[in-house]
Amino acid sequence: MKLPRKNKVKQIVQKHKEEKGTLITLLQDIQSEFGYLPKEVLSHASEELEIPLSKIFAVASFYHSFSLDPQGKNTVSVCTGTACHVKNADNLTQSVSRELGIEAGEGTSADGEFTLKKVRCLGCCSMAPVVKINDDIHGGMTQVKTGNLLQQYRKDNK
Amino acid sequence: MVTLKIDEVQVQVPEGATLLQAAQKIGVWIPTLCHHDSLTPTGGCRLCVVEINRGGVSHVVSSCVYKAEEGLTVLTATEKIRGIRACIIELLLSEAPEAKVIQDLARDLGVKPVKRFAPRNELCIACGRCVRACSELVGMSAIGFANRGYEKLAVSPFYEKAEDCIGCGTCAEICPTGAIKLIDIEEGETAVAHDGTKVQGPARIIQNWKVNLKLKTCKECGETFAPENQLAYFSKEAGLSKDFYDICRHCRT
Amino acid sequence: MKGKPFTHLEKLEKSGQASLLPERIKISVGFASCGLAAGAQTVLDAFIKGIKKRKMDVQVQKAGCNGMCHQEPLVDVWIPGKVRLTYGKVTHDEVQAILAAIKLDTIPEGALLQTSLDPSADEPCCENVPDSKSHAFYCKQHRVALRNCGIIDPENIDEYVALGGYEGLATALSEKTSMQVINEVKKAGLRGRGGGGFSTGLKWKTCRKARGKQKYIICNADEGDPGAYMDRSILEGDPHAVIEGMLIAGYAVGASQGVIYVRDEYPLAIQRLEIAIEKARENGIIGDSVLKSDFSFDIRISRGAGAFVCGEETALIQSVEGECGEPQQRPPYPAVQGLYGCPTIINNVETLANVPALVKNGAKLFSAVGTETSKGTKVFSLVGKVNNVGLVEVPMGISLREIIFDIGGGIPGDKAFKAVQTGGPSGGCIPESLIDMPVDYDKLAETGSIMGSGGLIVMDEKTCMVDVALYFLRFLEDESCGKCTPCRVGVRRMREILEDICEGRGTIKDLALLEKLAGTIKDSALCGLGRTAPNPVLSTLKYFKDEYLAHIKDKKCPAGVCRELVKYSIDKKACIGCGACLKACPSAAVSGEKKKAHKINLKKCIKCGACSEICPVGAVLT
Repeated sequence: MKLPRKNKVKQIVQKHKEEKGTLITLLQDIQSEFGYLPKEVLSHASEELEIPLSKIFAVASFYHSFSLDPQGKNTVSVCTGTACHVKNADNLTQSVSRELGIEAGEGTSADGEFTLKKVRCLGCCSMAPVVKINDDIHGGMTQVKTGNLLQQYRKDNK
Repeated sequence: MVTLKIDEVQVQVPEGATLLQAAQKIGVWIPTLCHHDSLTPTGGCRLCVVEINRGGVSHVVSSCVYKAEEGLTVLTATEKIRGIRACIIELLLSEAPEAKVIQDLARDLGVKPVKRFAPRNELCIACGRCVRACSELVGMSAIGFANRGYEKLAVSPFYEKAEDCIGCGTCAEICPTGAIKLIDIEEGETAVAHDGTKVQGPARIIQNWKVNLKLKTCKECGETFAPENQLAYFSKEAGLSKDFYDICRHCRT
Repeated sequence: MKGKPFTHLEKLEKSGQASLLPERIKISVGFASCGLAAGAQTVLDAFIKGIKKRKMDVQVQKAGCNGMCHQEPLVDVWIPGKVRLTYGKVTHDEVQAILAAIKLDTIPEGALLQTSLDPSADEPCCENVPDSKSHAFYCKQHRVALRNCGIIDPENIDEYVALGGYEGLATALSEKTSMQVINEVKKAGLRGRGGGGFSTGLKWKTCRKARGKQKYIICNADEGDPGAYMDRSILEGDPHAVIEGMLIAGYAVGASQGVIYVRDEYPLAIQRLEIAIEKARENGIIGDSVLKSDFSFDIRISRGAGAFVCGEETALIQSVEGECGEPQQRPPYPAVQGLYGCPTIINNVETLANVPALVKNGAKLFSAVGTETSKGTKVFSLVGKVNNVGLVEVPMGISLREIIFDIGGGIPGDKAFKAVQTGGPSGGCIPESLIDMPVDYDKLAETGSIMGSGGLIVMDEKTCMVDVALYFLRFLEDESCGKCTPCRVGVRRMREILEDICEGRGTIKDLALLEKLAGTIKDSALCGLGRTAPNPVLSTLKYFKDEYLAHIKDKKCPAGVCRELVKYSIDKKACIGCGACLKACPSAAVSGEKKKAHKINLKKCIKCGACSEICPVGAVLT
């Protein structure tokens, strides 16, 4: 198995050993570097740190912050907190899914531009319904506004 | 020693014993599923729940995990407990309708499947026995859980071949529902692996973990007796010579 | 004569006073997550640029959220010797207007609120601007946990000290034994603010008595209830209050290590905490000799990874240890056997934020506010269908009606109030007939709901209560750890039934089955998440059974929400023919000429709701 960014991986593993980190902090560091948890990196970490791969996989698949698949260029989340829900966040999520051609409500668009992820509550309830794209939070969103926003991100990426 | 009362009967057990062990000592039957005497209990299936009284308040606890306390009152068959057990079996029946052990429990407790629940085509009830056995008894941790909630299942890492599996078969042996498909293929025979391919004997396949291991053939009698990986592991752990397992146990004696 | 801990703080206090109340004009911008989402960065940048351009000598800094989230971006103008003026919904143009007014030595117009930090020194500014005693949003509030939020720069430890910060700790270290601190907290009647409502003093006492060389204080900042953001605001606006609370707790129970477990979805809170911990360490407040005493305490942050169940104490401990967040059976309780098997106190953010003021001012003052069994105040996030969405801190015992209608300003539009949901996924919905009840742990429990962490979701006539129950079940199903059968399978089955009801496939027998499942799950689930999972269903069944019956018998959704049961149509009389719905419709189901009433083709309609959302006159009906 080829190891991507070998030196970076070695750095992460070394840091984990030195700081006596937990499995979760290790996965957070790997995700921070790669945007997701590549299988090769997890296998390497399993060998170097003598942590069973089954355990790594259990923790990686338990917590929703972690992705085992590569992510799109942009991450889009429609907040599905209660305050947003009563302001039709569900309809908004459906409209974003339609716009990006993602059926299951979560996943990456075919062109790799956007990954749609569920997010529970961003704590910006005064601006419900809220859409997060990467690190930017957009409040008071409607289906039309969100569609336009996605177009904007597509344009900006080009 | 700790003295407590189970269903009005006094019982004495050593410090650290569980309520389940105390009940078993006096022959009180409590149904279990995720529990196994050789494994660390987790109290997940909740079938073994009993009612205890603590400071005047009644609590429902898993008897396989809860440690016996001096003077504790335990009730194993109240209306509440029987109701809980029945409902849990109904839920398990919907989760793994083909599992014989659950069907037997249902029959014993007079429980029928609830038609309203859409049944699932799955035998794994996430009891964790296989995972715990592989980790605690065998020491390989070749398999584990994936996901959480209803999608929680025992799997091989990344749903691919469990590289650390030595094919000992403890998981299949310890699984209460028969969810683990282990097939030993004799010399000259074939069987179908998880991906539909045909596998030639002598081999052991465990479909769930996508494992296909060659079985060792005894140099003397020609019988296949255990996966080569397993024997290699034992040899290494016990510091035996490489050819120790060239002869099967019967031929050695 | 004051002890070493107090003298240690004097230098910080002096510097903090100078920063908090400088001799020149100061502008602070509300810079918490909600402020940023509303555009606070643009406002801050505009001030910095504008001040430079006009060559003004004005201090600009960040502050936390003052709770008026519906008015973000918020800006405070501090004129030396005068009351602090708060401006809301500040735009780029308004920034220029504010700076222009200041340059001309006048008071900028349009202030929402004027508050004085020092009543003896601050002069009132404006006649028509209410102060916190008369402002509808503030006059019924009593800010203790939120005392500094929106006032201080959360990244400046000196300002925290200037307002009495770390005096509670200094009092504890120099004037009280650890048992005296515990008794003070017990006497005050502080109950866990995270939802459990357990006596904080009693918890600390249990931990104090437990045997163990190493003890831990964990701050539970895994605020998972959707719609609740009290803890986020405290962490972003006043992180030192939490740190001080942890230090006092550590001193009380004999712990020398603290962990703050913060959910991954709060990056700004984590950042503010990191800065605060570093500053506290630099100034001898965290470390080997806290405030020059014999007490040692260190704090680290542990990040969550997206699991609501990790708000449950034993699951939280598993997560800090790096494992899957699966709750463990209790006993043993964490206070006796917790993190790494050691006695551990787990306290919520708001609980800890209350501790410094409690220890500094005494139990009597703390318990002078509140009801018989629920002392002190509670922070609520007032959200949903309410005009003044924001964070409020009120004395226990105030009625829900006062919170929603007086502080919250009632329901927007001309809609009628229907219910208020409290307690998040573990709570229930309270109908109008009960909203005069006092907010109190026990009273809320009597209605079938719980206090919870403080989320108050207001719902109106356009909210479907069956849909709300389904929403919470979907949430819990997603967040269930999967360890125990009642929750893993039971909640799933309940969700399937609710979905059938919402999609027109429910039968009357379903209601009895839901009640039976609810009973088993409540009795036998392993942890609090599971045991309270049926509450939203039970509560809505109790108070809104008619809606369930309408879905089941009539296959109708009275609120017009459940997609399968509604039909979209356009009110011919109300429609102004603007064509917005036609443009917004993704399936070309809308037709109509300009300025003439439009029509929806139900065969093409996919019920996405885009038309309803965009209609400027509310002509789309469901």
